[in-house]
Amino acid sequence: MIQSRHQLSLNGAAVSFAAGETVLAVAARAGTAIPTLCHDSRLEPAGCCRSCLVEIEGRPRMAPACATPAADGMVVATASERVARHRRTLLSMYLADQPAGPERGGHSCELHAMADEFGAAPDWPKMAPLRAGRADPNPYILFEPDKCILCARCTRYCDEVEGVSAIALAKRGPATTISTADGRGLLDTSCELCGGCIDVCPTGAMTEKMPRTAAAPPERELEPVRTTCNYCGVGCQMDLNVDRAANRVVKVTSPPPGTTTNDGNLCVKGRFAYDFIGHPDRLTTPLVRAQDGSLREASWDEALQRAADGLRGVAERHGRDALGFVSSSRCTGEENYLVQKLARAVFDTNNVHQCSAT
Amino acid sequence: MDERQRAQVLGALQGAGGLTEDVAALVGTQTGVPEAEVYGAGSFFHLLDDTAVKLRMCTGLSCAMKGSRELLTAAQAAGLPAAECSCLAACDLAPAALREREVLPEFGSAELDAAGGDWHAVRPEQAAWCGAVDALPGELAMDLAGERDRSGDAFARAAELGAGAVIAEVDAAGLQGRGGAGFPAAFKWKAVRRETAETRYVVLNADEGEPGAFKDREVLLRRPDLVVEGLAIAAAAVGAREVWCYLGAESGGPWRSLPAEIDAAKGAGLYDGIAFHLHAAPGAYICGEETALLEALEGKRGMPRLKPPFPTQVGLWGRPTLIHNVETIACVPAIVRNSGAWFAGLGRTGPGTKLYCLSGHVARPGVYEAPLGVSLDELLEAAGGVVGELKAFSPGGASSGFLPASESGRPLDFKSLAEVGSMLGSAGIVVLNDAVNMAEAALIQLRFFEAESCGQCAPCRIGTRFLREALEEAQRPGDGEARRAALRHVADAAWQMNEGSICGLGQAAPLPLTSALKWFPEDFEA
Ligand SMILES: Cc1cc2nc3c(=O)[nH]c(=O)nc-3n(C[C@H](O)[C@H](O)[C@H](O)COP(=O)(O)O)c2cc1C
Ligand code: SF4
Repeated sequence: MIQSRHQLSLNGAAVSFAAGETVLAVAARAGTAIPTLCHDSRLEPAGCCRSCLVEIEGRPRMAPACATPAADGMVVATASERVARHRRTLLSMYLADQPAGPERGGHSCELHAMADEFGAAPDWPKMAPLRAGRADPNPYILFEPDKCILCARCTRYCDEVEGVSAIALAKRGPATTISTADGRGLLDTSCELCGGCIDVCPTGAMTEKMPRTAAAPPERELEPVRTTCNYCGVGCQMDLNVDRAANRVVKVTSPPPGTTTNDGNLCVKGRFAYDFIGHPDRLTTPLVRAQDGSLREASWDEALQRAADGLRGVAERHGRDALGFVSSSRCTGEENYLVQKLARAVFDTNNVHQCSAT
Repeated sequence: MDERQRAQVLGALQGAGGLTEDVAALVGTQTGVPEAEVYGAGSFFHLLDDTAVKLRMCTGLSCAMKGSRELLTAAQAAGLPAAECSCLAACDLAPAALREREVLPEFGSAELDAAGGDWHAVRPEQAAWCGAVDALPGELAMDLAGERDRSGDAFARAAELGAGAVIAEVDAAGLQGRGGAGFPAAFKWKAVRRETAETRYVVLNADEGEPGAFKDREVLLRRPDLVVEGLAIAAAAVGAREVWCYLGAESGGPWRSLPAEIDAAKGAGLYDGIAFHLHAAPGAYICGEETALLEALEGKRGMPRLKPPFPTQVGLWGRPTLIHNVETIACVPAIVRNSGAWFAGLGRTGPGTKLYCLSGHVARPGVYEAPLGVSLDELLEAAGGVVGELKAFSPGGASSGFLPASESGRPLDFKSLAEVGSMLGSAGIVVLNDAVNMAEAALIQLRFFEAESCGQCAPCRIGTRFLREALEEAQRPGDGEARRAALRHVADAAWQMNEGSICGLGQAAPLPLTSALKWFPEDFEA
C-alpha cells in the first residue's frame, strides 16, 4: 500500500492514494474490481462504455471511475444496489445488441465474461441486426461490425499509441461504426497492419484473419507460449498461441500492457509473420548445389565445409578484403558478435556489417 | 497540427460539397488532419454525409402531425432524392422541408406534383420568411416585434458599470439559461471571469433543433441586435476577445440576419476589440449540447465530453468558455439597461419573461413572450385556443415527454415542471388534441432520439433503438398479451438510459415513452 496523505473511502474502507490517480486505479490497488470495457492503461480515458460507473457521495449521477480523479474525502460505493442494477441492465442491453449465437471469434470475449460475472437478464430480446460488414482484402485484419460495441479502443489505440489514425469512428447514432476514410480497405490507407486494434478489442469484432483460413474452427483451445520476437533487436515479448492438437501456431498475441517492455504492442512482423513456422517451403536440412546447379540435401558437416572452402577460395584468389559479412537484423546481439568474430578472427577482414545498422 | 486548422475541417467539407469520394483525403491534406478522422467527422453530419439527398422532410412531432411522412413517401415515389430529417425549427409552419440548405416552410404535396420529379423545381425560389410572434400584456425583456436598436447604449452602460457590476446585475436578474437546463447564468459568468487563463471565449449556441422549439430562429431573424449586443456585453464581462457563433447551416434567414447585424455594428464602430466568428452547424441535434458543440467547433465529431470539467474551466480549445443560448444572451441588454431587479420582477414563478413556442394543434402557432411561469391555458388563450379537444402537451420539446391536459394550469417554469417529472427545456410546447394516439406520438419522439443520438455511449445508442423496436413490436396487431410482453423491459431500459447515459439526450430519451405509458396507458392497449 502506497503511503500517502491522500485518503478516500471505498465501500466503507479508508484507502490511500497518490495525487493524480483515478478512482479506477485506486480501487484496483485496493483489490476492488470494477468492470471496464473501454479502458486501456495506454489510452486517455473515454468513459464511453459506462461499465465502470460508481456512486460518489454528493453527486446525483454515477461517475465513470476510469475518468474520475480520486479526491480527498471522496466517498465511493462500487457495491451498492444501484451500481449492481446499473451493471445488470447495461450488460443486458449490450447483449441484446450482440449477434445471436455462441461464436466468439476465437477470442475470449470480455463482454460475455463480464455478463457471466455480473449477471445480465437473459430474456431481453435480440435486436434487429444493423451494421453489415465490408469486404476488405487485407490479409490480416477482419472487422465484424455487428460484434462491435464502439468502445473505441481500436481507434484510440491507432491514434494515441501508433500515431497512425488509419481508422476512426464514423457515422452517428445506431449507425456509428469504425471506418477508414471512405470505407477503403486497410491496404489503401496509412495502416501499418500492426494488429493493435485486434489486441485491444474486447469482443472479437476485430480479429485475425489467418486463424480462420486454417482448417480448425476459431474457438478451439489455444495454449499461449511466451517467447521473444526475433524479427529485430527490441526484444518484444509475445505469446505464440499454440493449437496442441494440430501442433501449430495459430496466432500471435501480445502480453497485457504494463507487463513487458513492449507494453502490449507488436508490429506487423511480430504479430502476423509467423506462418513460416509450419510453411512447406521452409528449409529443414542444409542444401548444397551439385555441378549442374541443382540443390540436393546434405549433412551440416558437408554444407559447412563447402561454405568454408568457397569463402577461403575467394580470399586466396582475390585477397582477404574481397570478402564481406552482413548479418541479419533477426540476429541477436550474441549472434552479431559471433559474425564479426568470424569475419575478423577467421577470415581476417574488417568488412562486417549488420543490416539494421543503416 | 494547428487547432485552428482542424477547426476548418467541417467548413472545408461543406465547401467541397460534402463527403464524396476522396474529399476526406483532400481535406486531410489541406488541414493536416488524418483522413480517417476527417471522414469520421464529416460522416457524423447528415448534411455532409448524404450528398445524394437533396430534399429532406422534417419528421418531428409537429410536422409529422401535419403529414410530413406521407409527403416523404410521395416525394420518394415521384423519384425525388428525398429522405427524412429531424426538426428544422419550423414547427409553427409545419410541415417543413429542406431543399439542400434552404428551409421551405408550409410545404405541400401540390409542390411535389408540380416539380415533376426534378428536385431543382421544388419551390425553386424561397422568399425570406419568418413566423408569428406575440406577447402577453406587460413589459418585455426582448420584445421580438419591437424596433431594432443599434445604438450600443447597453454596451456603453455596461462599460460604465464595469465587469463586476454587470455580473452582479445578471445575478440579481436571476437569469436562467434558456437553452434547456435553466442553469443560473451569473454562476457561469463568474466562473469564467475567475479563471486565470489569458484567452477565454464566448460561444453562442444557435443550433436550435429540439422538436417543438423555434424561438431562437425568431430572435435571430427579428432582433439580432439584442444577440450581438448581449454577446459583446458578455465577452467584455468575462474578459473574452473572441465570440464564436455556432449557427445551424440550414438556418437560411438567420445566416443573413446575424452576419448583417454584426457587420452593421462593426461598421458603426461598436464593440471594439471583440471579434465575431460564425461557424455553420451542418445538421446534428446533439451539437446543441454545449460540449458536443465545442467538439464540432473544433472540427471533430459532435460527441459530448465528460463533465466535469465544465466548459467554464475547460472549453473551446481547452480555454475557459462561456456558452449561452440565443435567448439567454438576448435578455442581457435589457438587464443592463433596466437593472437585474427589473428583469427579475417581470416573471411570475421565476425571473424574467420567456419565449414560449406553440405548435401542433393550436389555432395560432408562433412564439409568445410571457412572464416565466404562465400556464398553458393562458398561452392557449392568447393563441386562439386548441384545434380540437386538448388531450396532452409536450411542454419543452421532445426531451420533456408528455403531460396530460389536466396539467394545463401548471406554471410553465423550470421548477414546477420538474416536479411532475417533466421539464421546461427549450419551452417548445407541442399541443396534441384528442385525435392523437399517444403511443404513436411517443414513437415519433423515440425515432427522433434514435436518429440524433451521437452514438458514443451504449445506453443511448442501443437504448433508443431498443425502445423504438419494443414500441413497434407492441403496436403490431396481435393479442394483448404479446403486446404487453413487448414492453416488459422498457422500465429497465429507461432506467439504464437515464442513469447510464453520458449526456442529457440519452437521459431524457425514454421520457416520451414512459410518460405516455404513465398518463395514457389506454393508448397502448387498443
Ligand atoms: C441533447 C441536448 C441538446 C441541446 N440542445 C440545445 C440547443 O439546441 N440550444 C441550446 O441553446 N442549448 C441546447 N442544449 C443545452 C446546452 O447544453 C447548454 O446547456 C446551453 O447551451 C447553455 O446555455 P444557456 O445557459 O444559455 O441555456 C442542449 C442540451 C442537450 C443535453
Ligand atoms: S447520451 Fe447519447 S447523445 Fe449523449 S453522449 Fe451518450 S450516445 Fe451521445
